[in-house]
Amino acid sequence: MAVMCIFGQIPSAPPPQYKESDFLTRVRRLTVEGKRAGEGYWSPDGQRIVFQSEREPGNPFYQIYTLDLSTGETARVSPGIGKTTCPFFRPGSDEILFASTHADPKSKELQDEELAFRASGKERRYSWDYDPEMDIYVYSQKTDALKRLTTARGYDAEGSYSPDGQWIVFSSMRNAYNRTLSAEEQKLLEVNPSYFAEIFIMHADGSGQKQLTNTAGYDGGPFFTPDGSRIVWRRFDEKGLIADVWTMKPDGSDQKRITDFGSMSWAPYMHPSGEYILFASNKLGFENFEIFMVDSQGTKEPVRVTYSDGFDGLPVPSPDGTRLAWTSSRSGGAAGQLFLADWNHEKALEAIRRAPLRKPKS
Amino acid sequence: MMMRRFPVVVALASAVVLHAGAQQAPTGTRAVVEALASERFEGRLAGSNGERMAGDYIASQLAKIGAKPLPGRDGYFLPFDFTAGSRDGGSSLTVASALHPSAFKTTADVQALSFSDNAEVSGPVVFAGYGIVVPDSQNFGYDNYAGLDVKNKIVLVLRYFPEDADQKTRAILARYADLRYKAMAARQRGAVAMLVVAGPHSPNAGDTIPMSFDTALAGSGLVAASISGKVAGEIFSAAPENTLDAAQKALDSGNPHVPGFTFPNLTVTVRADVVREKQSGRNVAAYLPATDAPGNSADNAEKPWVVLGAHYDHLGRGANGNSLAGKDEMGRVHFGADDNASGTAAVLAIGEELSRQPRRRNVMLTLWSGEEFGLIGSSAFMATPPIPTDRIEAYLNFDMVGRMQDNKLTVQALGTSPVWAKIIEQANVSAGFDLQLQQDPYQPTDVASFNLASVPCLTFFTGTHADYHRPTDTADKIDYADLDRVVRFAASITRKLEDLDRAPQFTKVDQSLPSGAGRAGVRVFTGTIPDYSTEMKGLLLSGVIGGGPAEQAGLQKGDVIVEIAGQSITNIYDYTFALELLKIGQPAKVVYLRNGQRKDTTLTPAARK
Repeated sequence: MAVMCIFGQIPSAPPPQYKESDFLTRVRRLTVEGKRAGEGYWSPDGQRIVFQSEREPGNPFYQIYTLDLSTGETARVSPGIGKTTCPFFRPGSDEILFASTHADPKSKELQDEELAFRASGKERRYSWDYDPEMDIYVYSQKTDALKRLTTARGYDAEGSYSPDGQWIVFSSMRNAYNRTLSAEEQKLLEVNPSYFAEIFIMHADGSGQKQLTNTAGYDGGPFFTPDGSRIVWRRFDEKGLIADVWTMKPDGSDQKRITDFGSMSWAPYMHPSGEYILFASNKLGFENFEIFMVDSQGTKEPVRVTYSDGFDGLPVPSPDGTRLAWTSSRSGGAAGQLFLADWNHEKALEAIRRAPLRKPKS
Repeated sequence: MMMRRFPVVVALASAVVLHAGAQQAPTGTRAVVEALASERFEGRLAGSNGERMAGDYIASQLAKIGAKPLPGRDGYFLPFDFTAGSRDGGSSLTVASALHPSAFKTTADVQALSFSDNAEVSGPVVFAGYGIVVPDSQNFGYDNYAGLDVKNKIVLVLRYFPEDADQKTRAILARYADLRYKAMAARQRGAVAMLVVAGPHSPNAGDTIPMSFDTALAGSGLVAASISGKVAGEIFSAAPENTLDAAQKALDSGNPHVPGFTFPNLTVTVRADVVREKQSGRNVAAYLPATDAPGNSADNAEKPWVVLGAHYDHLGRGANGNSLAGKDEMGRVHFGADDNASGTAAVLAIGEELSRQPRRRNVMLTLWSGEEFGLIGSSAFMATPPIPTDRIEAYLNFDMVGRMQDNKLTVQALGTSPVWAKIIEQANVSAGFDLQLQQDPYQPTDVASFNLASVPCLTFFTGTHADYHRPTDTADKIDYADLDRVVRFAASITRKLEDLDRAPQFTKVDQSLPSGAGRAGVRVFTGTIPDYSTEMKGLLLSGVIGGGPAEQAGLQKGDVIVEIAGQSITNIYDYTFALELLKIGQPAKVVYLRNGQRKDTTLTPAARK
């Protein structure tokens, strides 16, 4: 016994094998209407989910909807025109945040262009266009008022609130538009605009916008940890091929790498217990995203959670930690839909405990 | 659920009287399934005594929940007539040549094809190769009748299609090798009879074709019979410079230019006698009248209707050809607990739940018979509808809903209306199924009859299993808690339908199945049980038949076949098509996915009789 304690772990035991039903049970498809749906985030009371879906007649882009989990009723909360993405409930209020391009006078024109393109029978690979007209708005469910929080040119999106509802972290590409770019940078902007994306923070009213990261490559998808003490986000390398999960303090200090997974690991979200972070990675194949989890300190190798064909990503646990909402194309076709399952927290803790230590690579 | 085959035409008789009793306590889904799937109802074969008793039981359950006979009727039963099967009543054939006049009478030598006219004809005989004509529209150029005059003559053709042709040729010819299609080609050219022989190089060589269970009501306009290799040899002896063996060999390369010929100095007389067994089955139908219908017509039948249906018939003891019973199970009662006592119990339970609530539309509860024979009950209903079909706003069908696995519920036919996505999304938020959604309404169940009548429809299905169409589909294997979840989900969908302000719009879905001349070209047996409930790429196996070629190849439930004999497989239709290309006894490479890993094996197809 004493000897084992000294060495910490029995070496060379093969990592345990899991299957999806170890962690996820009662898997169900939440969205059916429309072409695609995803990015579901819980209301603080766990009664509703806000998500993006392409289901508005005449608009081939995402709009934002709430789904009431007791009645199954959905309601659109975004303007209906233009593109929207990345909604989030503001804790302690009736407000919902999302990013939208509806203020762009060309919105309708872009919708018609996309519809005409589709009618032509052509198909394009999925790509997110980082529309520079994208800005963050907050919508009041009581008054229907829509308030604009960011105005800088450049993609402002991927926003989420601190647990007390007083802060918003978000991703912005404003640094590509607020100065004269070198010829090399200009070229980069054309092929890979997300290169310029950095994490920002602001007050819930949009004041005091401040940059937290300053590293070449796409920094995005920030969320506060459940106790509000840190921010978890994903950081891409300069080429935009490898991404890993990082955490930092809300002032931008103590930036800490959590994964070193050699793949595109993104959309991290911490479980309400604070014990582990769920994220998506294409570790198993460039187009085969699966959900993984890793301990909050990043000391272990990630553990695989989903085992289904197609895309599984954007995992978001319910506020009580007993359920998981995520986006998946497991029901067939390329388009994702929102899924929900019961989450086995105990089994997840056990699997993380038994995971091998991370081997430092960089 | 019926096996995939063609639906048929049906006649309808008059209603029978049964009075609704006073409303009593509801019967749970378990009690209904256990009753219907008991020995007492003997597997509920349409037209049998077991089916009659099951119908009576269902009527008593409808009375219990207070459902009323349809408007203008005083009972719950809607009888219909159908052909339950056919047998050879004593066909015969005489070869009269200068050399050997001879007569044949046994079914081992001559047997009518089930779609033959009952008649006796005589005439000279023309050998017309495989009897295959590829339509000009296919730009392929293959016509075994080229240069032949068969008017008022008897044609002799080979069964199947050229055995040794390249894959592409076989693939095309196989689609026009169905016996009915060959008969049509012969008749159109004026032949009075078609004789079929399985050549010495084909599967089932020299054997006559068993008169398969077939629901054909009428003949196909000519005499059609299969003959043994011996009889064919007798005919070929009139052409001493040729033999059946040599004639088949010449054709088997797929060469389109091998001419047919007339046998000299030979007259054949053939008499075909098909006995078609007519039977009567009963649909059972009742309704819950609208309590608050829009439009307020005094005539209940004119109010809008939502119809819920499930077939209650099954396979009896499996004598009629679509049983999958293993050798040691043959002749036993096929209980049909999942197929489809489960759907019947679901319709009754949904009716019971809805009977206690106000309704803006009439809700009809229909329990079909004759489904296993080819959707006969629901087709009969549509042929002579008891209410105006244009007042039917939606139809929900339940076929095999009692064996849920991994929370997966398949809902099919979503393409029939734009209203379904929203309604299903809403209802599933609380129901919580892992929905497998399919647009296609061309399913082998009664929903197809309503789709054909342009009624928005859905069908619910919990997936197939190893007990499908076997005596082992028993009540103890039903998952009643999940069956009751399906009931609540469908009741919720029905209520949302009742609450619509306008009738759901119907949209026509294009049929993706290539509607070629026939599918009887599939003559190989692989022993795979495809999972029809998925739209995933490849062919997902829900099981393999014990001892069959697939099991011997090491395939198992959950494997996804993605390639067979060099043909890539993306769906069930690709698979069916690829099967046509396999040769019996010749090993074929199968590539499949197991737990996401690509693997391959070798499968040796056996002959399907």
